[in-house]
Amino acid sequence: MLLERVDNPGKLRFDVPYQMAMILTKINRFVKEGKIAIVARRCDEKAIAELVKRDLLDGSRLELIGLACSAEQVEACRCTDPCPSRVDIGQPSEPVKDDQNFAGMLDMSLEDRLDFWINQFRKCNKCFGCTLNCPVCFCDECLLEEKTFAPDKGIPPGLTFHLIRTVHLADKCVECGECERSCPVDIPLLSLRKMVNRDMKKMFNYVSGDPERMSPLLTTLEGDPMEDDPNVC
Amino acid sequence: MSVKHTLTTCPYCGTGCNFFLQVVDGRVVDVVPCKTDETSRGGLCIKGYNAHAFVNHPDRLLHPMVREANQLTKATWDDALRRISSELNRIASEHGKDSIMILASAKCTNEENYLFQKLARAAIGTNNVDHCARLCHASTVAGLLQSFGSGAMTNTIPEFEDADCVLVTGSNTLEAHPLIGARILQAGDKGAKILVVDPRDTPLSRVATLTLRQESGTDVAWINGMINVIISEGMLDKEFIDTRTTGFEELKEIVKKYTPEKVEEITGIPKEDLVAAAKIYASGERAMIAYAMGITQHSNGTDLVRTLANLAMVTGNVGKESTGVNPLRGQCNVQGACDAGALPNLYPGYQSVEDAETKTMFEKAWGTKLSDKKGMTLTAAFNKALTGDVKAMLIFGENPMMSDPDIGHVEEAISKLEFMAVVDIFPTETAKLADVVLPAACYAEKDGTFTATDRAIRAVRKAVDPPGDARADWKIACDLGKMLGGAGFEFDTPGQVMAEMSAVAPIYGGIDYERIEKEMVRWPCPSKDHPGTKVLHADSFKIGRGVFAPIRHTPPAEETSEEFPFILTTGRNLFHFHTGTMTRRSAKLQREAAGPYVEINEKDARDLGIADDSSVKVSSRRGSITLSARVTPWIRPGTIFIPFHYAEAAANRLTNNALDPVAQIPEFKVCAANVQKG
Ligand code: SF4
Ligand code: SF4
Ligand code: SF4
Repeated sequence: MLLERVDNPGKLRFDVPYQMAMILTKINRFVKEGKIAIVARRCDEKAIAELVKRDLLDGSRLELIGLACSAEQVEACRCTDPCPSRVDIGQPSEPVKDDQNFAGMLDMSLEDRLDFWINQFRKCNKCFGCTLNCPVCFCDECLLEEKTFAPDKGIPPGLTFHLIRTVHLADKCVECGECERSCPVDIPLLSLRKMVNRDMKKMFNYVSGDPERMSPLLTTLEGDPMEDDPNVC
Repeated sequence: MSVKHTLTTCPYCGTGCNFFLQVVDGRVVDVVPCKTDETSRGGLCIKGYNAHAFVNHPDRLLHPMVREANQLTKATWDDALRRISSELNRIASEHGKDSIMILASAKCTNEENYLFQKLARAAIGTNNVDHCARLCHASTVAGLLQSFGSGAMTNTIPEFEDADCVLVTGSNTLEAHPLIGARILQAGDKGAKILVVDPRDTPLSRVATLTLRQESGTDVAWINGMINVIISEGMLDKEFIDTRTTGFEELKEIVKKYTPEKVEEITGIPKEDLVAAAKIYASGERAMIAYAMGITQHSNGTDLVRTLANLAMVTGNVGKESTGVNPLRGQCNVQGACDAGALPNLYPGYQSVEDAETKTMFEKAWGTKLSDKKGMTLTAAFNKALTGDVKAMLIFGENPMMSDPDIGHVEEAISKLEFMAVVDIFPTETAKLADVVLPAACYAEKDGTFTATDRAIRAVRKAVDPPGDARADWKIACDLGKMLGGAGFEFDTPGQVMAEMSAVAPIYGGIDYERIEKEMVRWPCPSKDHPGTKVLHADSFKIGRGVFAPIRHTPPAEETSEEFPFILTTGRNLFHFHTGTMTRRSAKLQREAAGPYVEINEKDARDLGIADDSSVKVSSRRGSITLSARVTPWIRPGTIFIPFHYAEAAANRLTNNALDPVAQIPEFKVCAANVQKG
């Protein structure tokens, strides 16, 4: 998976969607110098852009090897933006036109939607998989580990747990779908993310993953970047 | 600078999830789930995600220690091992070989457990070897062996997803086996009916189709009641009963008395609910039963397991995909420890020590004379220590001072021993009392295999070196074997141990490391070209026909009284594992469930004037502990629940060590207790 030496890559496969950006963030704490090459899909690339903007990764030390997802993978992720800015491995595929899950959800009445999500979140087992595997979930002190917001008395952890996450990633989520893939109880978390991202686009005309644009939540009303430490979230 | 990812198997529950340990410069730093693993499919539970956390903990044992002038003091490996072998030799010659007891470990690999039992049998010369399966699923092994001929989970974990009905009893699956619980929820999403029978409301029962809350200790009654309803509704699988089983008439006679009205009287389950549940279970094309300690940890545990087998057989739910009777084994390798023969009556592969032919086979394989006398169980060993029949114990990775019922009794038993050696990764409550303590390698520091609850043999791979002077248990067992003069302990790798084990245990006949690298194999797998077995008893039972067992309800060993009006039941929560030696040293898990608590029903709490989070004293006939109250609607009035992970308020100070007569498993699930404001 993660290679130290390029002369012996061993058995490589590209059909399993590991979120390399997430693995990178986990080891980045320890790898203090030298260049790191990383095989990046489009979503990895966008996640890295979000992290670099916030000074959580040193972009100049990274070398991206672009991996274009196959048509099946694009289908599986219901991905609307699958092609990396440079393609070194694979053939670019067409994005999906419309995501049925997401469209179905928008058709529901608000009451039905609430019921739907309450029933989904009742299955939650508090594994933290959605957080731990998310490439842009980076706070050292996670609010979900704070008893006031997410009580520590067993499972399911309650709606606040999920809603905090929902809003907290509003300006970061790159729709990689890793949260949904990691959820052992099949909560359709990616659909939830897409709904929030749709609102972010509508309200702020902001799409995460753009290396040039700062998050509207991190800029002043005039649109200038804030001077404070952007890592404090 | 080096970074690597080592694929290995989770050291916690028996689900057997695989994950990658992330290693930077020789230190385990994190866990990454494995997307290509059939069991975990890229997910884990919170324990799995934190399975790296205790590996580098400062409390890890780093050096052998030997008791000098009543103080454990640092020693060399040579001195410590010599002390053990000379003490064991002395005790064997003074009091006989059967005065020595070896406790093997469900946390160690198959190879290690194979060596532990070989150490007892071939090097010391006694069948006195057992492990904590005695405390969890001994009744399963005994019960299913009698009913079906094989004491293991009949079906596999992925099959849960395709069942039409899943009946879960005595298992808090979402907390104790989270990824199996997740499969059950997925079955539910696909339309399967989920039935939960439990005196506590569990996270699973809250999303179940139907939940029955029985009074603890009345399980035979509701299961017989369900069979009664199935018979009177004509929902039997006649063909299956006629062609595959024996003893149905006797069963029919017994269950006659268990009408829904009668069952309601005994168990408190409304009769309409019982009828509805029976109909749901019997009408499923593919119905799976899953159970755990809530069934096994009773003084009639073996009987209970057999009544569940009855229920599956009357509806023909055995031998097909997504059916069967499925004990969920609690520890990463409790299945494997049993398979490897860490049991006093069975050689590796469930072969009886009392069978002359088998014994001769093993004598030949191991090149030494063996004892034909059944060994002692773990629970018996502590009783026999009190009477002076057991003089020495060698304990690998177990913590009876926390895990066994009535700890006061265990403590006294240990004090009577002439010698006790403990091999562990942390200074456990038991290790503190030992004469010699040896530091062991943990799962991340050695190679081997674990066998998951569904009989899948899973690779454990070394990611880092053990800390300090710690050594892998298999090496320690080999060293001790040689020192005690045993032959056949010259192993250089765990792979060689597996090669020997597969040669003597036919169910593992086709297992070797090369295969395990490439595929997931489930035993029985008798030869290299055998694909392994997913569904047990497909065409016939191992004993020919399945045997119905007519069983009557008997009250639990201990009943409530005026002085002790509550029924105390014990168990796990999601965040901790067993005696807590590993999880309580993992910061994130500890944060989620920091201290001991007792769950008590709102109404009971109100009557006693107990507020949520206030301190209370819980006592039983054996002792008392102080802990905080968790007031909840999720438990039956009259019943209280305490997780057994917390040393500072050990639930097992209170529990009863009444034993099941067949399996000698203690009754952890029912004891009479009292709660007072503390
Ligand atoms: S899709 Fe999920 S895992 Fe991926 S960036 Fe968004 S929140 Fe994180
Ligand atoms: S991954 Fe799913 S089960 Fe795990 S915490 Fe997130 S929502 Fe809950
Ligand atoms: S379900 Fe069991 S095996 Fe899987 S990660 Fe959790 S504790 Fe480990």
